[in-house]
Amino acid sequence: GEDLNEVEENSKDVIKFTSEKLSIDEVSQLVISPLCGAVSLFVGTTRNNFEGKKVISLEYEAYLPMAENEIRKICSDIRQKWPVKHIAVFHRLGSVPVSEASIIIAVSSAHRAESLQAVSYAIDTLKAKVPIWKK
Amino acid sequence: MVVQCQVEVLYFAKSAEITGIRSETISVPQEIRALQLWNEIEARHPGLADVRNQVIFAVRQEYVELGDQLLQLQSGDEIAIIPPISGG
Repeated sequence: GEDLNEVEENSKDVIKFTSEKLSIDEVSQLVISPLCGAVSLFVGTTRNNFEGKKVISLEYEAYLPMAENEIRKICSDIRQKWPVKHIAVFHRLGSVPVSEASIIIAVSSAHRAESLQAVSYAIDTLKAKVPIWKK
Repeated sequence: MVVQCQVEVLYFAKSAEITGIRSETISVPQEIRALQLWNEIEARHPGLADVRNQVIFAVRQEYVELGDQLLQLQSGDEIAIIPPISGG
């Protein structure tokens, strides 16, 4: 078989903002790697209620250059804390109807513990620090 | 004489509705405390007083509290007035 040392693959941080519908398949394909036995995902979707009111869709806006930079910082933090391979963060902007995804975070790693923790850290930190808001 | 510089202020969400604009260039002292910078902006758009306690301030794409912090601004610096964040 292949010498493990010959499989070289640069680690990627893929960050994307789009008004198009997000695809779980597309985002997970970006992080899948023969070096990894785990891909962990977080998918945030629009819920049909908020503070007792009915929700039909949520509209997201971002301060874009700073939002992208803040996500890059989160990726960098993740890499300091856990040995992960690839990270992908896709956030949808504009209108996101109920049950559609507003965010998908995918992280791959050799073993499951690190990607699970990294994904959890990523969504918690994004919610606290990245300049994206619901209009 | 106080040295001035030209900074670009970006308005988002409620602050854009209040001012009626998305961005403008203003002249402010190069050395200025964060709260004073806010006051300069509010002086131009008094309606912003309504959101003062709800907005988040960013200078050169770093968050800044509306307080005592002394800022060293340069011409071309970007100031952003954003609403409370709720992404994800």
